[in-house]
Amino acid sequence: MFTHTPLRLATLALLAAASLTYALAAGFFGLEILAEIAILAILVIALDLVAGFGGMVSLCHGALMGVGAYAFTVAANDAGLTALPAMILAVALSTALAFAIGAVCARSTGIYFIMATLAFGQMAYSFVFQSPLFGGDDGLSGAPRPDMTALGIDLSDSRTFAIYALLLVALAYAIATATLRSGLGRSLVCLHHNEKRLRALGLTVWRAKATAFAISGALAGVAGCLAAQHTQYVSPGLLSWTVSGEALVVVILGGLGTLIGPILGAILFVILKHEISSITPYWHAIVGLILIAVVMSRAQGVFGFIEARMAARKPQAQIKKVKADA
Amino acid sequence: MLETRSLSKSFGPIQVTRNVSLKLEKGERRVILGPNGAGKTTLFNQLVGELTPDSGTIHLDGADVTALRVADRARRGLSRSYQKNTLFDGLTIAENLGLATAVALGKGQRLWSDPLQSAEVRETVREVAAMVDLAPHLDARVDSVSYGIRRQLEVGIALATRPKVILMDEPTSGVGPEMSKGFHRLLKALPRDLTILIIEHDMDLAFDVADTITVLNYGEVVFDGLPEAARGSSLLRDIYLGAWENA
Repeated sequence: MFTHTPLRLATLALLAAASLTYALAAGFFGLEILAEIAILAILVIALDLVAGFGGMVSLCHGALMGVGAYAFTVAANDAGLTALPAMILAVALSTALAFAIGAVCARSTGIYFIMATLAFGQMAYSFVFQSPLFGGDDGLSGAPRPDMTALGIDLSDSRTFAIYALLLVALAYAIATATLRSGLGRSLVCLHHNEKRLRALGLTVWRAKATAFAISGALAGVAGCLAAQHTQYVSPGLLSWTVSGEALVVVILGGLGTLIGPILGAILFVILKHEISSITPYWHAIVGLILIAVVMSRAQGVFGFIEARMAARKPQAQIKKVKADA
Repeated sequence: MLETRSLSKSFGPIQVTRNVSLKLEKGERRVILGPNGAGKTTLFNQLVGELTPDSGTIHLDGADVTALRVADRARRGLSRSYQKNTLFDGLTIAENLGLATAVALGKGQRLWSDPLQSAEVRETVREVAAMVDLAPHLDARVDSVSYGIRRQLEVGIALATRPKVILMDEPTSGVGPEMSKGFHRLLKALPRDLTILIIEHDMDLAFDVADTITVLNYGEVVFDGLPEAARGSSLLRDIYLGAWENA
């Protein structure tokens, strides 16, 4: 079961403190980057839930995020809903779509699962790209930010919006950990390693996988709503398989199956993207080299590497203590 | 309680199950014997639904379950253990038993709560652990315990679903003579209303535990009767090349 080790708790506390401090101190550009990190963090938490813990490597999470973004924008602009009901509707749609995709793809594993999710993702991308309802290649503008002025909160302010985005990351993390600690989460983790036995015990495997995929899709939908609110514009590029691929890179870079690692990965990735792209247009190549180094080191990402180093230090510290006592 | 009627299965030109008809009464303990390649595990795989028979039917507690999937049969009370351990490594023994119990109770997909913390699951874990002599090891991780304890857990997981019928595929496979004797005691102490079908090569265990014995050879039932009759059967002696004259 997913547990919070002291290292994980300390990392979480550090991340929360650092991001809030940064949100309070940063200028406009810094706050934009923080919001971008938050959106990616929610998406990779969603992906890590199914890929890292359930072994369901998905290449349709970009599409699920895009569906959330488009559904939110259409519901708010065309159906006239206010932001909160529009968000609920958008997340419900992403959840339902993810459940359907999960239910179909649950029948396959490994590379076939990946290809099936890719096909679903590209179908969604093509549909949005071609449909005039969604503005085609031009996308849609005018996605509103939630109106919380009654509470004295102005989300049109970049600083307030960045803090709101961070709160959504915290909510996504809480939902993911609660899921992993539930009966479904236990089954999900064990399905990854021993599907045959769980089936023999009476678990309806496809339903468990589809439910987990639906929860992940809901989180991706939240990321989509936040993305739409952030730029107040949505384009078909959000649904592209490259967004899913990028999210997978971030999860692996940060630490597959750790939840915290992908958040670290999101921070690293966005900072690297902005810093390196200001020096060279070939920033993808540098991120690629870093990813290769991480994969070749078999360290389970940056956070996995840190956890392994800390675990290795513990026995050494104990030996030193025994020697000192002697 | 468990019945097969003319069950047959082929892999290409090789017929691995030939018109197998078995009938187990409630509480019966039957041992299936047979040389390697006799089709014992293939028969088990058909009984639980991991393989589909070419012809014939399977009945559990009076109902035809031939068309049901593995999980559906398990929910109707059919459980199995495997010849090769299929445990949840990385979890403790208590968590392994708890997960099996939770799934059997329909709590394996519960959201927002951990079924392993429920009183019902914990009680079952304690009971099953006592049945399979695992009570002292409940907090040990599976990957840190001996092979023998893993074999006990393999059976424990199958028992944790509270089955009506349990199929055990060579429960003593790979364990030493002492551990094997422990298994005899363990199996004999299981509730008498539990129907048990065991594949076993250990003749001592077979004759010690079995109410009835079925012998398969080339996928066909060549003997079906009481252990005493099996002991005296010249046909069986031929099949086993006298291996159980010492039994």
